[in-house]
Amino acid sequence: MLAPSLLLLTLFVLVPLCVVAAYSFALRDSYGAVLPGFTLDNYRDLFQAAYLQVFVNSFKLAASTTAICLLIGYPVAYFIAFKAGRAAPALLLLLLIPFWINFLIRISAWVVLLGRGGLINQGAIGLGLIDVPVGMLGTYGATLVGMVYAFLPLTVFPIYAALTPIDPRLREAGADLGAGPAETFLRVTLPLSLPGVFAAALFVFVPSMGVFAIPVLLGGGKEIILGNLIVQLFLEFRNIPQGAAVSVLLLLISGVGILLYMRALRRVEAMK
Amino acid sequence: MQGAVELRGVVKRFNTFTALRRMDLTIRQGEFFTMLGASGCGKTTTLRLIAGFELPTEGHILIDGQDVSDVPAHLRPVHTVFQSYALFPHLSILDNVSFPLTVRRVPRRQRLERARAALDLVQMGGFPDRKPSQLSGGQQQRVALARALVNEPKVLLLDEPLGALDLKLRKEMQHELKQMQRRLGITFVFVTHDQEEALTMSDRIALMRGGEIIQLDTPSGLYNAPSSLYAAEFIGETNMIPGRVVEAGAGRARVEALGGHFDVACSEPPAAGAAVTLTIRPERVTPVAANASNSAGGRLVDVDFIGTDLRLVYTMSDGTRVTLRRQNTGAAPPQVGQGAQLGLAADDLRLFVT
Repeated sequence: MLAPSLLLLTLFVLVPLCVVAAYSFALRDSYGAVLPGFTLDNYRDLFQAAYLQVFVNSFKLAASTTAICLLIGYPVAYFIAFKAGRAAPALLLLLLIPFWINFLIRISAWVVLLGRGGLINQGAIGLGLIDVPVGMLGTYGATLVGMVYAFLPLTVFPIYAALTPIDPRLREAGADLGAGPAETFLRVTLPLSLPGVFAAALFVFVPSMGVFAIPVLLGGGKEIILGNLIVQLFLEFRNIPQGAAVSVLLLLISGVGILLYMRALRRVEAMK
Repeated sequence: MQGAVELRGVVKRFNTFTALRRMDLTIRQGEFFTMLGASGCGKTTTLRLIAGFELPTEGHILIDGQDVSDVPAHLRPVHTVFQSYALFPHLSILDNVSFPLTVRRVPRRQRLERARAALDLVQMGGFPDRKPSQLSGGQQQRVALARALVNEPKVLLLDEPLGALDLKLRKEMQHELKQMQRRLGITFVFVTHDQEEALTMSDRIALMRGGEIIQLDTPSGLYNAPSSLYAAEFIGETNMIPGRVVEAGAGRARVEALGGHFDVACSEPPAAGAAVTLTIRPERVTPVAANASNSAGGRLVDVDFIGTDLRLVYTMSDGTRVTLRRQNTGAAPPQVGQGAQLGLAADDLRLFVT
């Protein structure tokens, strides 16, 4: 039964990963061709200040995206799980629909929306809120908007999935025993939904670390992050071994994230 | 005396469904009060209204004389023991029990002291650090009880708390709950669909049906003097005998039934010709001499050996079945097929117009 999936995984995941890993130890000639050989230089170079700055940039972007997504996604998931009633399936579907449209097209739509002649500027002018269009494209804020837009559904679903199985009697018991709505949330609902929050954080943080289209399209690519760096190293500088080394590092960061998640999850499960 | 809980003209509707029709009820201080009824009768809705999980559509709810109709659940001086226990799965037993004190900002030392005392009260002092999932159903039940009692509520609401326990444990807990209620002097409002449980534990029982209380009485009153055919049928075992009034007198009626005639004590006898149902408890049916008055002949068709009792089922001459229940004296039970004359005393029969 496992054989077909194992074959697929090997062919499309394991083999490409091994190729990338192998490249990361390889040499190259001055035209960019990969030469056989073994060197650790590609990794050693990553400790240069310029590269470290890229990691800091990436981490900052991923961490703020994750934080904002959780802050918005949790209340949305809470609303759908407990307050929406019969509208819940429709709301979940609405969150899913954007996934049917190509990612680049959706982000390009934001370029149109945020532009000087875009809906937001024109609308604000029409309402008399501002006189001249505000330059929003090419800012860090625009990048964050796009990031949050892209990853928000990924936070809502796992949190929703963690909230719905919580016995409504537990919240009633909280109220019955004297805890107001806020205290019942903090002492009962939130702790019980933590596994979903961890999953949501992971689902956002890991892909955010490797993102590259959004900061380029909306943020103007002013800050170099891991995703851009890999693209530049592979395509512009034709330094495939160096790009592979950055990719492997990114993979390691994701791996550590997943490991932390599993440990946190085990601790929460042990609490029950 | 002012009631522990008072419902004044309380109506509860969910969209188009009326769960409670119009309830006026006073639950006395310190009594063990039971709301009994089949599922959907409104007993749990009444409890949830008192707890504050639901708000009444009309009317007022008073706890200890205070109108709490608009007071949210967390500010009411009542605690609930849930059918599913609703223990917090992420908190230890001790933290579960101290929850009501924690949210009231009781200092830590005092909090732990009181929580331990409550756990001792329900004989669960042994393992305060365990999680609810590590306990059996009966143990969880005890912890839930301790959690609801730790803050000394004025009224304790219990929503079928013994429903999930096996029979033996159930009997034990019934006994313990009743004792605890007497000792603490807290008003218990207990909801159950189990009439035997209601009879065993309660000071008073409200029998509910279709969102209304159809009889409010002591257990013996409810059992001995059911005010309706439904009450007679719902509480305990009852013989139902179809008949017709042939003569109405002062405080009595003469009824034709089981191929004979019976005098029935009855405060407002219906007019002659009315179709009625007579009821009598199986333990009130007695074997009598063949020519005795208020009796009818039948043939034994079934014998159930219950242990303490024997249940003898007779088919009467008109085809009605009458059950007789008598103590097991150790003598050999009668043989199936034997004939017998069954006496139904006028004071033990009850009459309902059908």
